[in-house]
Amino acid sequence: MNDTSPPPLTAIQTKRIPTSSFMRLWALGGSHAKIAGHFLSYAFQKQFVDSDTKQLLKNEFHLKSALQLLGSMGYLRGAIMKIGQMMANLPQIMPHELVEVFESLQFQAPPMHFSFVREVFLDEFGKEPEEMFASFEKRAFAAASLGQVHRAKLHNGKDVAVKIQYPYIAATIEADMKSFAFLLQSMRFKKDFKYLHAHIEDARSVFLKEVDYLAEVAVMEKNRQLFLGSQIVVPAHFPEYTSKRILTMDLLPGQHLQTFLATRPTVARRNHFAELISYSLVHSWFQHRTVYTDLHTGNYILMDDGRLGFIDFGCCQQFNEQRWKDEIEAEIAMFTGDREKLLKFIMKVSMTDTLDVLSSAQIDLFMEQIEWVVAPIMAKNSFDFADKEYVDSGVRLIKKMVRQSTLRTDPFFNWTNRALLGHRSLMYRLGANFDYSSLYLKEMECHLN
Amino acid sequence: MRITKEAKKQNRLAILQAAQKLFIKNGFEQTTTRDISLACGMAKGTLFNYFKNKETLAMTLIADAMETGREQYKHRKTGEEHFEEELFLLIASELRALKPFRGYIGPVLESGMSLFQKTVSCEAGQLARKEHIKTLIDILHFHGFETAADSVTITIYWSLYLGILAHWSRDNSENQGETLSLIDYSMHTFTNTVSGNMENRQAVSNE
Repeated sequence: MNDTSPPPLTAIQTKRIPTSSFMRLWALGGSHAKIAGHFLSYAFQKQFVDSDTKQLLKNEFHLKSALQLLGSMGYLRGAIMKIGQMMANLPQIMPHELVEVFESLQFQAPPMHFSFVREVFLDEFGKEPEEMFASFEKRAFAAASLGQVHRAKLHNGKDVAVKIQYPYIAATIEADMKSFAFLLQSMRFKKDFKYLHAHIEDARSVFLKEVDYLAEVAVMEKNRQLFLGSQIVVPAHFPEYTSKRILTMDLLPGQHLQTFLATRPTVARRNHFAELISYSLVHSWFQHRTVYTDLHTGNYILMDDGRLGFIDFGCCQQFNEQRWKDEIEAEIAMFTGDREKLLKFIMKVSMTDTLDVLSSAQIDLFMEQIEWVVAPIMAKNSFDFADKEYVDSGVRLIKKMVRQSTLRTDPFFNWTNRALLGHRSLMYRLGANFDYSSLYLKEMECHLN
Repeated sequence: MRITKEAKKQNRLAILQAAQKLFIKNGFEQTTTRDISLACGMAKGTLFNYFKNKETLAMTLIADAMETGREQYKHRKTGEEHFEEELFLLIASELRALKPFRGYIGPVLESGMSLFQKTVSCEAGQLARKEHIKTLIDILHFHGFETAADSVTITIYWSLYLGILAHWSRDNSENQGETLSLIDYSMHTFTNTVSGNMENRQAVSNE
């Protein structure tokens, strides 16, 4: 969810961001290690100092890291975004201000110039883009966290979007995750270290999956079939123009959320798209048992004819049988207020067989989280996602999670949590007020027996 | 018996082709001039009439490939590239043409294009450098930069260029993707240098 005020550190971003280079990769070794180093020294020190000093250290760390990030982020985007996402996925250990800084940079990755793009094409297909397409726009029209998107036309006149991955990005992510894990070794004596390590391993595997566009295509195609005939449009891909690093798909005409909101759309239109976004996630959740872990405004195209383009399937996770069973049981328990079953779910999420290892504060926080998540479903009629009280309580929850510093959670739970927060954030930005409860319960219906 | 110009050309080509095969098969260090002369059915003395040593022979192969790469660059160039992008295109096109020689380019460049050589030991290497720099100067002029072939600007560029070649020769990343990033970063740095852009220095002072 978003705070109503602007990110507190956004204002200090004064340096011009380079727009024509791929050089960020080369700053990774130095700057990100420094950021991670500062972060860890804070994380480590805070275990041993009293609260006043702790606050002081915390503020100092935030400022120092944010400045370093903002000062060099132009060169770091790409791989560091992945590290950022991972840290954002662990609000327990990630200072909230840094989550905001990372998220504010989502749409600003500097593009590869056309000569660079041509080399990627030659490596992937042995042909130049202008040999493959009837026309190919040299400038990217959209950025993705690991690549960029160009408009092109096939020889049969079809307009397509061509997503091109930065070369060497998989190796960079791998190397960064390794050095990040290495830096975290300084915390190895902390009792929950093994859980932290599990989070990093999990994040690594999710991010590395994202660099394979062929894997993304498989998920995209599955979803295209799922939403056929609905108001959700999932683009078709073109196999002869698609490889592990280049993905060619239908070009969907429309706007991203920011541009849409800038047109000051009516309440009805905002609610219409909020409903469609919710449907895309909830339907996929219940039908495919899929969680969209990197949910942001770039995943959607709000089309002029009222349909919703669902376009990015790079970063998602699948429930396995056991987890799905637990999830459904827990959801039913949430709606029925079955505390016993919810406590069992909390134990599973905390990877323990006994409640003894959890403090009452931890249990209370879990319960609060659950309450916050199910509030729009329990409303049983229209729910105002922009309601100040609801948004504020979400922000308070995140802050509590940061303070509590709980690492002992099933990494999968973090992804589902992140997906839910992503949804609530989109709803908040749209100022959505609609009957989410009916939508959700209708999708869930077949699982209730 | 006088040998015709055409026959000379054919012999030269036969030597180069035989050498290329052997360098790829056995490596540059392990291949001798005797192996090459045997492979192309010529006396060792005849081989030396064409190339004074193995290094010159290998450097000639590389220089020819660099020239092919520059021709490809000219063919691929659209005229719309900005300065940094055009330099990227030049180097990337050369590297693509040099791909068959990647396995042994390191030791050859060390002897044929080393920055530390006081005297011209390998004419093929010097010629390759001269031709590459000529193309660079054309690019500089096209984008409005004035510079002479012996200026500090050219020295900076050449150091970056040899660094890229050295990195590329050892780059085990898929499709040498790491080198692509290095070309981009190096040419960005060079562009900042020639255009007086101090952005990077400020970035360092903020650290």
